[in-house]
Amino acid sequence: MQAKTRTLIKNITIVNPKESLLADILIEGDTIKQVSKNIQEKADIVIEGEGKHAFPGFVDLHVHLRIPGREDEEDIRSGSAAAVKGGFSDICCMPNTEPAIDNEGLVSWIIEEGKKVNLLDVHPIAAITKDRKGCELTEFGALKAAGCCALSDDGSSVADSLLFRRALEYATMHQMLIISHCEDSRLAANGSMRESYVSSKYGIGAIADISESLAVFRDIEIAKFVKARIHLAHISSFKSLEIIRNAKAQGVKVTAETCPHYFALTVEDVEASEFDANFKVNPPLGEKEDLLAVCRALKDGTIDCISTDHAPHSCSEKELPFENVPFGFIGLELSFSLSYTFLVKTKILTLNQLVEKMSYRPAEIIGLKNRGMIKKGFIANIVVADLNKKWQVTKESIVSKSKNTPFLGRTLTGLIETNISKGRQVYSL
Amino acid sequence: MQKHAEKWTKKHILDIASLSREEIEIVLSLATSFKEISERDVKKVPALRGKTIVNLFFENSTRTRTSFELAAKRISADVVNFSSSSSSLTKGETIVDTIKTLEAYHPDIMVIRINSSAALYCLKKFTQASIVNAGDGKHEHPTQALLDMFTVKEIKTTLEGLNVLIVGDILHSRVARSNIFGFQKFGSSVTVCAPPTLLPFNYGQSGAILTSDLDQVLPKADVIIMLRIQKERQGGLFLPTIREYVRDFAMTEERFSKLKKDCLILHPGPINWDVEIVSSLKHKVHPRILQQAENGLAVRMATLYLVGTKQK
Repeated sequence: MQAKTRTLIKNITIVNPKESLLADILIEGDTIKQVSKNIQEKADIVIEGEGKHAFPGFVDLHVHLRIPGREDEEDIRSGSAAAVKGGFSDICCMPNTEPAIDNEGLVSWIIEEGKKVNLLDVHPIAAITKDRKGCELTEFGALKAAGCCALSDDGSSVADSLLFRRALEYATMHQMLIISHCEDSRLAANGSMRESYVSSKYGIGAIADISESLAVFRDIEIAKFVKARIHLAHISSFKSLEIIRNAKAQGVKVTAETCPHYFALTVEDVEASEFDANFKVNPPLGEKEDLLAVCRALKDGTIDCISTDHAPHSCSEKELPFENVPFGFIGLELSFSLSYTFLVKTKILTLNQLVEKMSYRPAEIIGLKNRGMIKKGFIANIVVADLNKKWQVTKESIVSKSKNTPFLGRTLTGLIETNISKGRQVYSL
Repeated sequence: MQKHAEKWTKKHILDIASLSREEIEIVLSLATSFKEISERDVKKVPALRGKTIVNLFFENSTRTRTSFELAAKRISADVVNFSSSSSSLTKGETIVDTIKTLEAYHPDIMVIRINSSAALYCLKKFTQASIVNAGDGKHEHPTQALLDMFTVKEIKTTLEGLNVLIVGDILHSRVARSNIFGFQKFGSSVTVCAPPTLLPFNYGQSGAILTSDLDQVLPKADVIIMLRIQKERQGGLFLPTIREYVRDFAMTEERFSKLKKDCLILHPGPINWDVEIVSSLKHKVHPRILQQAENGLAVRMATLYLVGTKQK
């Protein structure tokens, strides 16, 4: 039998959810063998970590890989490459594809495709309803057996409240997590940006913040009623966060995620960009009050984790005027640096809290075992970053097939240098 | 003309919001000179000879397009019309593709109307030409506001210290959005009056006074701009019925009797008689509204001239 590869990372600041320490990390095969100072054992690969930080591999609960159907925008290979460049070891891909991921065959196929590329673990999320039409439930049990990690009709809410209640109830039988895209689509009124003075001044079709918070309230009430778990995707508004905070205080089994753009950008940035299509996202960028509320909620735990909502679009789709382009932009390669720049450098979160939001909690939410910490016996998913390095976001620097991001041209702090996934170096600068 | 052009620095006219009072004054002053040309026997000056203007209308329009076309011709520009309500999109070509194609002909000015708000900030990236906004979605219609201001100045002799009242569908109106910024730049007060469903969210920041009580604000008005109400707004989301709208917001004989004697009533047209204004008032209000149309030509000649002669 072939000996397992041993990697030794020397003198690195290890950042875990609860504490940091300066030590060495010994990896054997896909497992962390030892974490301590001055490890003297021999290794095949030695990484000098002085001045650098080691983080447990990041976990993204919200990625659009665009497979099957829009391989021109992203595919399993480019999406995986973007993810490992961004420090991820596990990503969950949303089922709003063409066709929708609503059957065992597609779930297994995506897992297999991910293994072929073999850079990180790709966990498909399956649709709650057949073809995401919001009419009939999919076969939750079979989907779970095929390996899906959660259920979501992301891209739209399940508008039918009775059906959504049944989905949450039925999911409890299989201990499955429902991830809700919270949006009252009628109130969203085909808008393109947050309803605000900016939308009024420019006459842009607008989405009121209550289109999110009303759906949040409904979803939480239903989950509470049927005693189910629920995870709320891409939360963006002050009002939603008040409702979630309240529900958590009452013991409702609700978890929530936000995305970097909601703590980095507001409607003012949309105006300053002269309505650059790269600033159009759903839910839309909010007001300053919302941005501050997102920061506060990350700090006090109302928001459990940071996802990217990585949404690739082709350049020709995104060169049109603001009201004519689809929602969404990429995020996998920027999430860590954005979070470090906008949350840690600004002292909103500590590095340890950031690891909790990007690694530990998301792994826990979808039930991934032995991930989210750099600890003996845990899976060797380790990211090495230089937190002093500044870098500029350019189209050329992006490995995703799509280059649509509102952060083009921005200088960010914190650069990922190495990504080790299950003991293998899958990315290095 | 020369001295006006020397002071002008803007490549495009995309909105009123970003024009200064001085820039608006340049347009209005130049329009005064141009208006005289249209009264001559030979209605043409060589001001933009050798320049090419494309009228690019992605949304139906006859009045504005005709006005721009005549304006271009009277200052001797070569003008072509490209109308495409939706045809290029249905063929799979995007708006951006159309702009790129036309750019290959090296036009100097593109006059663009489109149904997508704030679209021109995007489209300007794909052409070297100057762009004049002929109405972009619900955003702005700057030449309409300029001609409204020109008409008010012509009749009232000033744009300062007036009470300007805009009545109707403010929410969907690019004319309202341009006028609100325009008149305020001269220190006039702007009040907008509409049912709450047709007032934009959080719009107090624009500086305009918001109200739904027409009868209360009518007597103070020096200028009233009556907006066209789209028939499709009735029935459900915005208005119960047109009849109900007329009851609260139409210019009736009774309301007319409560106006200041010298109150000026304008309308960007086309008018729905007996909806915005009762037809029995036609003989009183129509002459001024037709004067607006005449002035539109002069104002458009001025804007085309200014962006067309700006040193590149």
